[in-house]
Amino acid sequence: MRREDQERALEEVISRTVHNASERGSRALEAAVADTLYYEQQRLKTAKPSKRRDKERSRYSSYKSRLLRGSDHQRKMVLREMVDSFAREILGNFDPRVHALATRAVPFGLKTLLNATSPRQLVAWRGPGGVNLEEHVVVDGELEHALALRDRGTLILAPTHSSNLDSIVLGYGLHEAGFPPLLYGAGLNLFDNPLMSFFMQNLGAYKVDRRKKAPIYKQVLKEYATVSLELGYHNLFFPGGTRSRSNLIEQKLKLGLLGTGLSAYQNRLRAKHPRPKVFVVPLVLSYELVLEGKTLIDDHLRDVGRSRYIITDDEFASAKRIYQFMRGLLELDTKIYLTLMPPRDPFGNPVDREGNSLDSRGRRIDIERYLMNSKGELSRDNNRDQEYTRELGHEISRAYLQGNTVLPTHAVAFAVFEHLRGLESDPDLYRWLRTGGQTESISLGEASRVVDELVNRLKELESQGKVRLSTRVRECNGQDLLMSALKGFGTYHDTPALERRGDRIYHHDRNLLYYYRNRLVHYGLERVETAV
Amino acid sequence: MSDRVCVLGGGSWGTILAHLAGLAGSETVLWMRNEERVAELNEHHTNERYLGQTQLSELVRGTTELEEAVSGAGLVIFCVPSSATRAIAGRAGEFLTGDQVCLSATKGLEPETYHRMSQVIIQETCVKKVGAISGPNLAKEIVAGQPSATVVASRYTEAIRAGATFLHGDTFRVYGNTDLKGVELAGALKNVIAIASGCVTGLGFGMNVRAALVTRGLAEIQRLGVKLGSDPLTFMGLAGIGDLLVTCGSELSRNFRVGLGIAAGKSLDTICEELGEVAEGINTTRVANSLAKAEGVTMPIAEGVGLMLSGEATPQEVLQDLMTRAARYEIDFDYSAEV
Repeated sequence: MRREDQERALEEVISRTVHNASERGSRALEAAVADTLYYEQQRLKTAKPSKRRDKERSRYSSYKSRLLRGSDHQRKMVLREMVDSFAREILGNFDPRVHALATRAVPFGLKTLLNATSPRQLVAWRGPGGVNLEEHVVVDGELEHALALRDRGTLILAPTHSSNLDSIVLGYGLHEAGFPPLLYGAGLNLFDNPLMSFFMQNLGAYKVDRRKKAPIYKQVLKEYATVSLELGYHNLFFPGGTRSRSNLIEQKLKLGLLGTGLSAYQNRLRAKHPRPKVFVVPLVLSYELVLEGKTLIDDHLRDVGRSRYIITDDEFASAKRIYQFMRGLLELDTKIYLTLMPPRDPFGNPVDREGNSLDSRGRRIDIERYLMNSKGELSRDNNRDQEYTRELGHEISRAYLQGNTVLPTHAVAFAVFEHLRGLESDPDLYRWLRTGGQTESISLGEASRVVDELVNRLKELESQGKVRLSTRVRECNGQDLLMSALKGFGTYHDTPALERRGDRIYHHDRNLLYYYRNRLVHYGLERVETAV
Repeated sequence: MSDRVCVLGGGSWGTILAHLAGLAGSETVLWMRNEERVAELNEHHTNERYLGQTQLSELVRGTTELEEAVSGAGLVIFCVPSSATRAIAGRAGEFLTGDQVCLSATKGLEPETYHRMSQVIIQETCVKKVGAISGPNLAKEIVAGQPSATVVASRYTEAIRAGATFLHGDTFRVYGNTDLKGVELAGALKNVIAIASGCVTGLGFGMNVRAALVTRGLAEIQRLGVKLGSDPLTFMGLAGIGDLLVTCGSELSRNFRVGLGIAAGKSLDTICEELGEVAEGINTTRVANSLAKAEGVTMPIAEGVGLMLSGEATPQEVLQDLMTRAARYEIDFDYSAEV
């Protein structure tokens, strides 16, 4: 955020958050302050020892003593101080000039990271035939449509979330495609990674501390997003909230942050802003291999893992793993797809290139009227606005499925997994994942056949606009796809999901097989019911 | 947006709803295709074909112009057959705006897509604040001024409020429900059970059979509804058991009369001709059986009604089949279980 906007945004965020917490009366204010104190003190109990922790502890203790003899005014002052502290921590130091520099540095930085592992490649990359990241990051779909809207209002890009590398890939890919700088919230743990913190800080990321559970903290985050949209900063939210642990395409979206688009639109209408509109662009990221795939699926499958929201010890925390992963991706000659889907307004309606909202028959809609009461005045209605955002979320979920690009590892994992599961008489998925069941291998011919069968069904879905196929999946036969995916599985992960020995295909890391297979759930392609 | 109400469809239920809105004090426009009936309504305040000489509220006027009916109305109620809702919603969509509230009063599912009426309205218009009216509401009892209650369901409280504001009166009580899907499914699916009930009544059976049919019918429509994402408790309310009690026991119900006709050995064409109005249960039976098959839900009564309507089985054969099924526990919380 530009320096001249930072102070303004800070003051707006603080005053709105405090106002919202206190306008519902004395009890609500007391509850807001008490909740924040409680959640923060709980967090600090388990925080790593540091000067910062000690300072925060003493600050919260002083609040406690002030509140004991406090009036409403005193409570409001304490709340303001708490909110001020949250807001200052969240606000990034985004600067468009630094952003431009950082986006140019991404491909260079990644290449350098990769070179460091192989002197031979270092030489090769310095030559004219060096690795070109552009060839590996494909931005497709409704790119022109989305770009056409950037000057007609404020954009919210809403991508799927697979990996911590998403931020880097998106920052680079969208910049190269001509997008203006984007603000986005990134977990505090990402800033701890020494390799990535430079890019995170300067690609427009602001800090989100998921360990902070106080409701008022979430309010501050939402207000910050709203205010930045009102000020005309294009934003990027991950509506899935966190990386998809199972690799399923996100269908249950967190609507809180998404609703800030509607709030910003309403506030700009009230302020009679010349370009009040906000446009939401769903975006699907498709990876052949996922850096943290192994940790994510293991975590998903562990009962305890389901509640583990912040993972700090995954592959992203290891520089070596990132080198290996990037090298693997480049050696595979694979592509990362960033597929932009048709933009929507904050109510979920499609939008044309001029920024007009349309109904399903292509008729223009006056969207201001969605916000009017029976007297024709702009009105606020929490239930109504939540429902509008829910409908937007529904449209984004649908777009995620349609924009998913099927890559060889997805198709092969799905086809082989379903085939193997179909051979088992025991329906227990967990037992199969643990033991591998009765069938330890299938023939190459059998595997190729089931891949061919799946691809035929996928082509039908693609012709109906329900999914996208990568060129390789569309054009290769089952056996070639199988070989391509086997190479992929063998390139990066320590234990491959599938492996060829002679003319047979063996399953090894079934959790990973399940993980890559999950990318094609939700299309009605399953042979057996295996919901987890 | 104004305090004006628009009702699309001048059948018995549509006319009653317009009358209720008029009684509640709202200027109401009733859209009908038939010019003679519009003239009759505007000159004599009657709709003789459906409601005889009943005097309708003077605040109700008729029109054949969709734009005139829809534009600026605070509440628009769709009350046309399920097979016609899409076309009419598409045309009304030319004039509807985002601040308006639309409610569907049609208890049916679209024959081709199996969509609920609220879904059809959303698909064909820009309106988001959509809901449904459903419940035990026999038109002829309401018009006679007898007390009655209904449910207005929507995820939008503004739509529920509009239903209550514009329709609630001394003899008509409106309840709200946020389970729109459940209310619409209950209202549509109960018509299938009503046909079965008419049939057993026509065969001369007494109250034991009817009571068994209603309760087991409720169990199976609830199973399907829950599988499709509804709240099971919705089926215990006015739109579920409430509507079942009425339609399964009254000859005023069109679907019940379809069952009576089948028991009397009449052909489906003859039955429909004699009714003079659409019995949504005929189409809903086919839709319910397809949905049940797709979702893996057992619906023996709906299956039997389907066989009777298609002429593949006689009422006696269906009854025999139902009575000779394997014994099961009555209460089963596994809504997809074989029963």
